[in-house]
Amino acid sequence: MSVSREEALRIAQLAELDVDDAALPELAEQMSRIIDYVAQLSAVPANGTVKAFVPGPDAIRFRADEVNPAPLAFGPAEFAPAFKEGFFLVPKLDQFE
Amino acid sequence: MSDAPAKAVADRLVKAKRLNALLTPPKDLRKSLSAQAAAARPTGVLYGMPVAVKDNICTLEFTTSCGSRILEGYRSPYEATAVAKLKAAGALIAGKTNCDEFAMGSSTEHSAYGRVLHPLDKTRVPGGSSGGSAALVAAGAVPAALGSETGGSVRQPAAFCGVVGIKPTYGRVSRWGLVAFGSSLDQIGVFGRSVHDAARVLSVISGRDPRDATCEDRDPLRLPTVPESLQGFVIGLPREYFPAELDPAVRRACDRAVRHLKDLGASVREVSLPHTPYAVPTYYVIAPAEASSNLARYDGVRYGPRFDGHADVRSLYRTTRGQGFGPEVRRRILVGTYVLSSGYYDAYYRRAQQMRSLIAQDFRNVWDRGVDLLFTPTVPTPAFKAGEKLADPIAMYMSDVFTVTANLAGLPAMSLPIGRVKGLPIGGQLIGQAFLEDEMIEAAYALERVVPATDEA
Repeated sequence: MSVSREEALRIAQLAELDVDDAALPELAEQMSRIIDYVAQLSAVPANGTVKAFVPGPDAIRFRADEVNPAPLAFGPAEFAPAFKEGFFLVPKLDQFE
Repeated sequence: MSDAPAKAVADRLVKAKRLNALLTPPKDLRKSLSAQAAAARPTGVLYGMPVAVKDNICTLEFTTSCGSRILEGYRSPYEATAVAKLKAAGALIAGKTNCDEFAMGSSTEHSAYGRVLHPLDKTRVPGGSSGGSAALVAAGAVPAALGSETGGSVRQPAAFCGVVGIKPTYGRVSRWGLVAFGSSLDQIGVFGRSVHDAARVLSVISGRDPRDATCEDRDPLRLPTVPESLQGFVIGLPREYFPAELDPAVRRACDRAVRHLKDLGASVREVSLPHTPYAVPTYYVIAPAEASSNLARYDGVRYGPRFDGHADVRSLYRTTRGQGFGPEVRRRILVGTYVLSSGYYDAYYRRAQQMRSLIAQDFRNVWDRGVDLLFTPTVPTPAFKAGEKLADPIAMYMSDVFTVTANLAGLPAMSLPIGRVKGLPIGGQLIGQAFLEDEMIEAAYALERVVPATDEA
């Protein structure tokens, strides 16, 4: 397997995603299968001269440097889980690494 | 407008309830449709036309959950530009359609609100991720619906359900208000009962939008007229899209459609897009990488529900995301985080970006040789059984093998019904040159008139 249980757990932590211990082996196995599958791209010779393709307009359109907020039908108090006096409320931060 | 048309629209949608294709509760639907009908502009080109909208496109009238628990009950404070343009043209927004969670899937089995049934065979899937929109159009509940595409999520369900599905050129339609999945690939697309229904909705939602910097500064798409013949058209058949293992009935339907294209006067020739075999692995690096970044915003702080069991802000993030996302979304976030992580970025992400360039170059090489359009099967098989591919993500991903290339190259493409096998629809795909949707639609108009779309192949 290209992705070990420990590696899957490390990636889940990077992605801020809780994963059940019981689900970890299956998740690592599925990640391995997907990673092994996409690894066939490495069989193609790397070509440093090939630039990344970006769809869309050829040139970035610049606009006037003005604050132009999109009108909202209602404020964040209507859709935030916890909102008070203009702030999103969260639990304490002291255990944040 | 009197209330009668709005009531009739709601009745048709509620009648299709068994499909689980619509997420909007009937009561909310009826109330909103009546209000919309009263306010609709009689001069609009889509006056009175009901258009259902995929649940990852923001609307003011209805909630926008993206088929996910993490946005359950979310009401957007703004609406998508595409939706605003539909309303300005007099259309009625006919509720929100079920989809794979955050548009990640090819069967609409990955919705937190249950799977969508195929309208012709309830044991099968309607395709995905816009399976709800496709099923409602196929069932005759609405003449048109909006979907979204990142890797084939309009064309694949259109093929499975036997309707028309168009994915426009990247930059043809504003993405403002389309919930982001893979930003370099995402486009709003359209389903219709006919080429004309789909095309006229596309024409209305297309065009510039100052709120989306990736939307081209162009006028809306002008619809072509139905041509008498396809004289002068050069249509390429890419040999990589007709592999030996292609379902025999799909091959027969394509062969029949090609005969019709020739009869219409088109010149048909075989071409090659040599990097096609790498398209699915390229897509499954780029799309999850972009998804892992785009979906970082769902953390229980600003939108949607907050799940219990947290002591501090970090555990709030992890609990909410761990419980709020379903298995396929979790898988893709993890794969995306993996390919972007230190030590793997060059091996996967950079390599995939380079391959994307080569895939786009394949198409340019074909256009440079005088080919106007490509014709291919949309999907290698007809609709598969529910549950058949759930345990095997790679098998599910292969359902997109003929559709992801147009997303990677940013090209317009569409699926239209070209026959049936044992009663199940088969789709034929046209791929066009960037911003030449009019040529693609012209060929589709002509083919639609002659191909026996509901006959066995």
